[in-house]
Amino acid sequence: MSLLHRIEHAGDALAWHGDMPTLGRYTAGIAGEKFFREIMENGKFLGTICPSCDLVYTPPRLYCEQCFAQLEEWVEVPTTGIVETFTIVHLDMDGNRLPEPRVMAFVHIDDTDGGFVHFLGDVEPEEICIGMPVEAVFKEPGERQGSILDIAHFRPR
Amino acid sequence: MKEHVYESVYLRSKDFEEGRVLFETWDPNTHYAWDAGIAIGRYLQGLKAGQLIGRHCPECGRVLIPPRMFCESCFCATDHWIPLQDTGTVITFSLCYVTWDMIRLEEPLIPAVIEIDGASTGMGIMHMLGDVDPDAVEIGMRVQAVWKPAEERTGSITDIVHFKPVE
Repeated sequence: MSLLHRIEHAGDALAWHGDMPTLGRYTAGIAGEKFFREIMENGKFLGTICPSCDLVYTPPRLYCEQCFAQLEEWVEVPTTGIVETFTIVHLDMDGNRLPEPRVMAFVHIDDTDGGFVHFLGDVEPEEICIGMPVEAVFKEPGERQGSILDIAHFRPR
Repeated sequence: MKEHVYESVYLRSKDFEEGRVLFETWDPNTHYAWDAGIAIGRYLQGLKAGQLIGRHCPECGRVLIPPRMFCESCFCATDHWIPLQDTGTVITFSLCYVTWDMIRLEEPLIPAVIEIDGASTGMGIMHMLGDVDPDAVEIGMRVQAVWKPAEERTGSITDIVHFKPVE
């Protein structure tokens, strides 16, 4: 009996069942580790500077994407930025409707050449626009775990 | 361009367990079901019922076990099911003193290919021999299936415990 054939009795469908152990661990890396620990411990963002290309990377990089130089100069960068682009999400990863839509945005961090995707909060979706100034809202220090979710969201400022 | 050698960091399980590095875990659900197909599905149902079955090729007339829906020799569809005996002849065997995961054994496992009575010459299944002195095993030895009790059979090749010499 194949699964392509109509099954009339449950016992007719013969298949082997199994599981493959596939637990993965993804580390933040050397630069990511420093970045997330600074968020967790001090609620601040760090960046790295490439002096020859005049670039400030945040999240910090260990090497310059333009000239491949090793980046050794670390700097504190603002926890504010502007909305570069955004989208309003109505469905979860499984395609189920969310109770409330969530807003995701790419936030360009002030005084840097970088930024990252995060949630926008404390704002009505219709008020959001590209170029909107926002600031990071951190979780309480005791709730932070060294993850990007230690930032609760960004909100208008 | 200046060349750089970046420092490597070697991580051990302890570094994760003791929280010395930041990391995300990902544990995807990888449960799978592998369809046995028409011929093997019916074969496994036969095993559950305590019966070996083969499949007949109308071109070459061979009776194939394990059964398949086409003849690999004639490339034509096989046409009907044939019940077979659960006795046969050892056509090759091995005395295995290590397990698949390389643990040394005092008493050998004896995998063998058994030509099943009622199937064509050379048509056999691989199984284990048991209830036998390893030194007494030989090619041509007559053997019969030792079945699990009906209520313990699940529709698997292990519904046969092993083959033992015919008394």
